[in-house]
Amino acid sequence: MSEVALPASLEEVYAIRKREPGAAVLAGGTDLLVRMRADGKKPPVLIGLERIPGLSGIAIQDGVVRIGPMVTHQNLLDSPVIRKHLAVMHEAAQVLGSPPVRHMGTIGGNICTASPAGDLLPALYVLDAEVEISSPAKKRVVPIATFITGPGRTILTGQEILTGIRIPVPDPGYQGFYRKVGQRRALAISIVSMAALLMVSPDKTVRSARFAWGSVGPVVMRFPDVESSFAGRTFGPALLADVGRQYSERIRPISDIRASASYRKMVAAGLPLKILEQ
Amino acid sequence: MKKLHDAHGATGIPDEKGEGHFHTKSDLPVPVGSDLFRADAYGKVTGRERYAADEYPAGLVYAGVVRSPHPHARILAIDTTGALACPGVIAVLTGGDIRGTNRTGLPEMDQPVLADTKVRFTGDPVVLVVAEDRELLRQAMAAVKVTYEPLPAVFDPDSALAKGAPVLHENRKEGNLLFSGVIAKGDADFAFSECAAVREGIFSLPRQEHAYLETETGVAKVDGDGVLEMIVSTQSPFRDSREIAAALGIPPEKVRVIAPYLGGAFGGKDGITVQGHLGLAALHSGGRPVKIWNSREESFVSSTKRHPGRVSLKLGCTKDGTLHALSCRLIFDTGAYAGLGGPVAVYGMGHAAGVYRVAHSRVEGMNVYTNNPPSGAFRGFGIPQVIAALEQVVDMLAESIGMDPLEFRLKNAIRVGDETGLGIRMSNSADIVTCLEKARDHPLWTGRDEWIRQAPDYKRRGVGIATGVLGIGYGPVIPDIASAKLELLTDGRFRIYAGVADMGQGNNSANIHIAGDVLCQSPDRFELVQPDTFRCLNSSSSAASRTTYSYGNALILAAGVLKERILDKVAQLHPLFRRENLILVPGAVRHTPDGSDIALHTIAEAMQEADRVATATWTAPVNRQQLAVAPDVKMYGFPHLAYTFTTHLTRVEIDEITGAVAVDAYLAWTDAGRIMNPHVYEQQIQGGVIQGMGYALWEDFRVTEGAVVTKNLSTYILPTSMDVPDILSVPVETYEESGPFGMKGVGEIGIVAALPCIANAVAGAIGFRVCDAPLTPERILTALRRAA
Amino acid sequence: MKIRCIVNGKQTDLETAPDRRVVDLLREDLGLCGTKEACGSGECGACTILVDGESRLSCLMIAAQLEGKEIVTIEGFSKEHLHPIQEAFIVHGAVQCGFCTPGMVLAAADLLKRNPAPDRHEIRRAISGNLCRCTGYQKIVDAIESLARVEEESDE
Repeated sequence: MSEVALPASLEEVYAIRKREPGAAVLAGGTDLLVRMRADGKKPPVLIGLERIPGLSGIAIQDGVVRIGPMVTHQNLLDSPVIRKHLAVMHEAAQVLGSPPVRHMGTIGGNICTASPAGDLLPALYVLDAEVEISSPAKKRVVPIATFITGPGRTILTGQEILTGIRIPVPDPGYQGFYRKVGQRRALAISIVSMAALLMVSPDKTVRSARFAWGSVGPVVMRFPDVESSFAGRTFGPALLADVGRQYSERIRPISDIRASASYRKMVAAGLPLKILEQ
Repeated sequence: MKKLHDAHGATGIPDEKGEGHFHTKSDLPVPVGSDLFRADAYGKVTGRERYAADEYPAGLVYAGVVRSPHPHARILAIDTTGALACPGVIAVLTGGDIRGTNRTGLPEMDQPVLADTKVRFTGDPVVLVVAEDRELLRQAMAAVKVTYEPLPAVFDPDSALAKGAPVLHENRKEGNLLFSGVIAKGDADFAFSECAAVREGIFSLPRQEHAYLETETGVAKVDGDGVLEMIVSTQSPFRDSREIAAALGIPPEKVRVIAPYLGGAFGGKDGITVQGHLGLAALHSGGRPVKIWNSREESFVSSTKRHPGRVSLKLGCTKDGTLHALSCRLIFDTGAYAGLGGPVAVYGMGHAAGVYRVAHSRVEGMNVYTNNPPSGAFRGFGIPQVIAALEQVVDMLAESIGMDPLEFRLKNAIRVGDETGLGIRMSNSADIVTCLEKARDHPLWTGRDEWIRQAPDYKRRGVGIATGVLGIGYGPVIPDIASAKLELLTDGRFRIYAGVADMGQGNNSANIHIAGDVLCQSPDRFELVQPDTFRCLNSSSSAASRTTYSYGNALILAAGVLKERILDKVAQLHPLFRRENLILVPGAVRHTPDGSDIALHTIAEAMQEADRVATATWTAPVNRQQLAVAPDVKMYGFPHLAYTFTTHLTRVEIDEITGAVAVDAYLAWTDAGRIMNPHVYEQQIQGGVIQGMGYALWEDFRVTEGAVVTKNLSTYILPTSMDVPDILSVPVETYEESGPFGMKGVGEIGIVAALPCIANAVAGAIGFRVCDAPLTPERILTALRRAA
Repeated sequence: MKIRCIVNGKQTDLETAPDRRVVDLLREDLGLCGTKEACGSGECGACTILVDGESRLSCLMIAAQLEGKEIVTIEGFSKEHLHPIQEAFIVHGAVQCGFCTPGMVLAAADLLKRNPAPDRHEIRRAISGNLCRCTGYQKIVDAIESLARVEEESDE
């Protein structure tokens, strides 16, 4: 049996983890409890974060959106701030799991689970999100790409805990897109996902383009050199096909139960064209 | 001692607020042919209906099965001492603890309750553990030690039939060949040489998991009288009780099986699932009730699947498009145990000519043991596999001779009185022609070229059709018998003792419709007892599209008997009333000349108990044609007498970027005889089509080296509400003489044509055929790239 | 541990292991077997309940999380009479085997609270976490859609 703690403050979390280093942190439970059932193992203590006031909420200040890690996917969908300023996140949350999973699962959980198939992750990467990590000693802020080090792995050590997500609001000239390919249209784990931020002039010249890809490598992948090569070109099917071609060559997907590596590459090659679909 | 069944009497749940669970405000009967809300819906929408999974009697203990990790191995030793030493353990049992035959199965009794000398698939049951709760059970199961000597194994029918292949069942002289048979007419080999065009295809069909939401479950206990009572999620309670008795070595009259409403089954609970283990556990639990409820993962490992297989089909026609020759060879993988493998193969073979007249044919079928998980019954019963091949080759052949695929079908489709491609005389209702004509005239068909032309960028569109046929009942040899029991209660209401389990299709609710019509009573005047081998009469399994067809016929007879007795009693009580002036009206018998009513409860009180209970047995008529087939082909179900028919039409859009197939529209015209209850009829068509769509596009139960790869609902892909369209179901009504009120069973016909219909649309869209189902995005995109 | 919560409108004090799955607590301790389990891992929606009015999966919740919450299961969903959603499910033939039905009804309740007049696509999206193996979903969508229309008409 696991002991369960629902602390009301971070200090209590630290204290429990100091006492019980094997304690597991429970956010929405949509991943941890599934894994616990599959492994048949129970941690000595489950620390639920749901009653800590500071870990929820979405706020915008000085051009930065700050999201509490216990914000659920449904909270993201309901947030006018996200919809207006971070459309790519809104789109990503829309295709995540299923309604009850969106009601329970959290952004912090999605980040700390660190699955390359995590639906919010490509959006966070393309938005240059940063995460706040807190411990009794200090607080540090790192880019999302630094935070996640591999499938299921993050830089969290000791008593550290994810306490916030900071996302700089992109220039209003950017348009955000999220395209996900799964085995079905709901309750799907992504086979390939792509978040894009595009800034295109009225004359269709690309001023800036950013792409982040999920499920095609051990972590979400971005290639700054590829991104920078798109600036100055004319937006349209030809460009998007070329984008797909280039990424298809660079990504390093694996074969698993859902798809082969070669299928992932084929899909990636065409996925940018889906930006043209409404 | 309180018995398990005490809580399981009549399950028509009355609404204490007086709304009546049928929501009929009037006291009028609802005639057959019009909509009647299902009797079970109220209990289900309120969460009050108790399924087998919902039984938690006092003093409950749990049982679990330790399964083989090897696909094929000899058991060298089983050490139960560690498990027996675990806290809370009540019993640890092996095959050696079983006093009976330790074998279940139908028609072959080849599946051990617990392995005795060897295991034949990964997941084969070896040790049964009974413990106080689930956690203690888990710990004790982990402490069981089994020593195996792995044996060479076979994982596909071809290797299993190869010379020198390891044999699963050493006592069988045919080795791994479970069944082989032939159905032939004329001289197919020669006839192909007379054809103007011949096309052939080889199709690979996947394993399909039933994925009923209620996994296998039940509770059992031995009561004070030594009766083994079981409440279990099963399609076949009567057969189960006999199999349990024989396998465990107890007298059949000491086994009682109760089958409440099932949380789905689709064929997967037609026979023993957990019953043997439950019974054995209950015999060793000191009288305490025992529960087994499989996890989804255990369900996937242990339950039967739709037979995977390969169907090679060749079809030839003359210059004018008349089908002339057919050859079909099907080979199924039945897995480690026979299950219903013989009959499944024969049902497939027996439908290989589909809805067509063909002059010459030869159909060969085989079903082969392998060290894979067992295959078994699944909605359609071998027929979807064969129709998948036939209907695709029909399209190919039509294309070869430049005929419209629909006109080609129409030209060759059977009419009443025709002889089918397999020599079956269509003596009963059969209207595939109208189904096809309605499809031909539908705007989705006539306007298909325009719709295809309007495909957006990066999409390709196709429109497909397919037909299907499915025989109802058990065939010419195995008697299809139902015995109905109906009681007039002393309060003037009626109780129907259902003899066939209701796995969700609504057959027991249909009983109320039927009896209500015959007895002229409103649905609210009925209650239902779900199948109980001690209270109801054996009416065989919930299978073969025969539940309402067979039990309904028996019930009409029983209701007729009861009606006569009621009227006789009134005539007897009122000497001045003439018998012919008496009729049943809601709640009463009316003397028509003066309109006076005698309440049913008054009559019931005057009747002897024996008179208030009417029973009747109905035996299905069979096809008595003498066709030259081997006795086992006949016994396993060829030919049938009454068939259902369908034509499907679909439009699909293929995503060139992902390979995904989106079904844009789907229509089904179906001849299932007369419609008894329109919305229940639609339920079956819609559900069947969507299950067929899953078979066509997503569902691929994968097994590698005998081990399940798609272990759960995250990796075995069922369609969600977002993945499927609305289905337009159009009935083409006929009147089937042998069916109650002219109906034919509609439970399975919906699934049989879905795969080829979609495959034909896909082939039209991409210009070639993907012959391995399901047509997953990966398969389609890979093929598209290869073709480019 | 002791847990105090409201279950189907009644203040309830529970004594249970803190990590006990809510689905087990409901079914085994409280006898609320209308909440079904069909996968145990959040993939099917059969165990859907309402927690503070929002649909949640009771197989992925543990007892301690219920402290102070208001839980509605299918048994407590209707009060005096059947809830209109339940009535619609009966009338529109949305029920076959019924094992998904409690979860579907509660998923529909969550939807109609958020969006009183959903179209068919929105309805399909809202029940996409609830697998049904019998109906093909169509009549479930019909049932929910019938209520959306009522909302629209009453608004006029």
